[in-house]
Amino acid sequence: MEELAAGIRLVLADLGIDAGRLELSRIPGGASRETWLAEGESARWVLRRDPRGSVSLVPMAEEFALLSRAAEANVPVAAPLAFEPDGGRFGSPGLLMAYVQGSSVAPRILRKPEFEHARTVLTGQLGEALARIHAVDTDSVDGVLPQPSTDPALDQISEWERQLDEIGEPLPAVELGLRWLRAHAPEPAETRLVHGDFRLGNFIVDESGLAAVIDWELAHLGDPAEDIGWLCIRSWRFGNDDSPVAGVGRLDAFLSAYESAGGAPIDRDRVRYWEAFGNVKWAVICARQAHDHLDGVRRSHELASLGRRICEPEWDFLQLAQEPV
Amino acid sequence: MQDRPTASELLDSVAEYLFAELRPEVPREQRFRVLVAANVCAVVAREIRAGDAPDEEDLELFAELLGKEVDDPRAAAAELSRRIRSGELDERIDDMAPRLEEHVRRKLDVARPGYDASA
Repeated sequence: MEELAAGIRLVLADLGIDAGRLELSRIPGGASRETWLAEGESARWVLRRDPRGSVSLVPMAEEFALLSRAAEANVPVAAPLAFEPDGGRFGSPGLLMAYVQGSSVAPRILRKPEFEHARTVLTGQLGEALARIHAVDTDSVDGVLPQPSTDPALDQISEWERQLDEIGEPLPAVELGLRWLRAHAPEPAETRLVHGDFRLGNFIVDESGLAAVIDWELAHLGDPAEDIGWLCIRSWRFGNDDSPVAGVGRLDAFLSAYESAGGAPIDRDRVRYWEAFGNVKWAVICARQAHDHLDGVRRSHELASLGRRICEPEWDFLQLAQEPV
Repeated sequence: MQDRPTASELLDSVAEYLFAELRPEVPREQRFRVLVAANVCAVVAREIRAGDAPDEEDLELFAELLGKEVDDPRAAAAELSRRIRSGELDERIDDMAPRLEEHVRRKLDVARPGYDASA
């Protein structure tokens, strides 16, 4: 930890910042990345780095490039300051960001009185932020993200089939979901930068609402409606089942803010399709995280318990698939 | 025969301790992890109480969907998964959805009772 503090101090010095004494502490959560809070004498920073030996979907260097593009497009993000590769001054690949005041803990955002005002404005702010993400010039991430094929839905289905195959867990309802998604894929959309994990839990919220969109490691080029369907899945409502948008808002209000901020109009059926997809994807992620525990990648009862949550998105998918269109 | 408490009663006692006594005492950032631990105990207690019935019902369902005798639910689920993935059951997707819902409901009854009531 001394070594990491020294590394951060050196990187900050390169940026012309004298941090003084640095106190490091681990921020809990973040299933696939380590997050450290670095407190200097007059400022704070956040370091995100890969745990040693892990493989992330979007490598740290790409996450740094994406965050920079998003910041330029006025998406509220934690300002990216520096990237260090494997074996650099952060040890494993890592990126240093500005600290953003607020909370990303879903139950706190949904229930604590200090976020009462934030809850009333969050839906509109999320619509606006997502419109800005989707407006990022896709040429500017050329070389950062792989080019999609002609059908972003089929790309995503193949990707999550592959993720499931890596662990070999027999999940007939998820398999049914993957086939259903293939059979019902909408007309290919014009591809945009998709955040890939745009949901409550990845929003830092303060008293006045959305302060930053975090966790860009699932970003890819795809159908913009994918982010909206994912945002709305029941798991991310954290018990507020009647409020599809982050457990606080209605889809109508969200879409009208999204369109007012320049987002292209999005058809409801397309959002529902991607909500169905989101449930299948979340089921696969739960299974994978349980396997990270089983395979010893990271022993954790929290990861292990996710194996028994696979049935929740399976259930929600089956409801969506059986609803009359 | 083991003495009482039974396995599920023991797990209940640990879940109650974790949830009601330990959780308020630990630092705030640890509370969620304690809650997860309490919930894991409750899930396992329900699984023990449910006994063999859910597995037997799944076996029956998988046998019907596969059209053959099966004796191991996990192996049967794997075979069904392979056959769905291959596309050979595509014609039956709409009929299979409510049947697999039965299987998923049996998992929810152990892991998250009541989740299938709303939505």
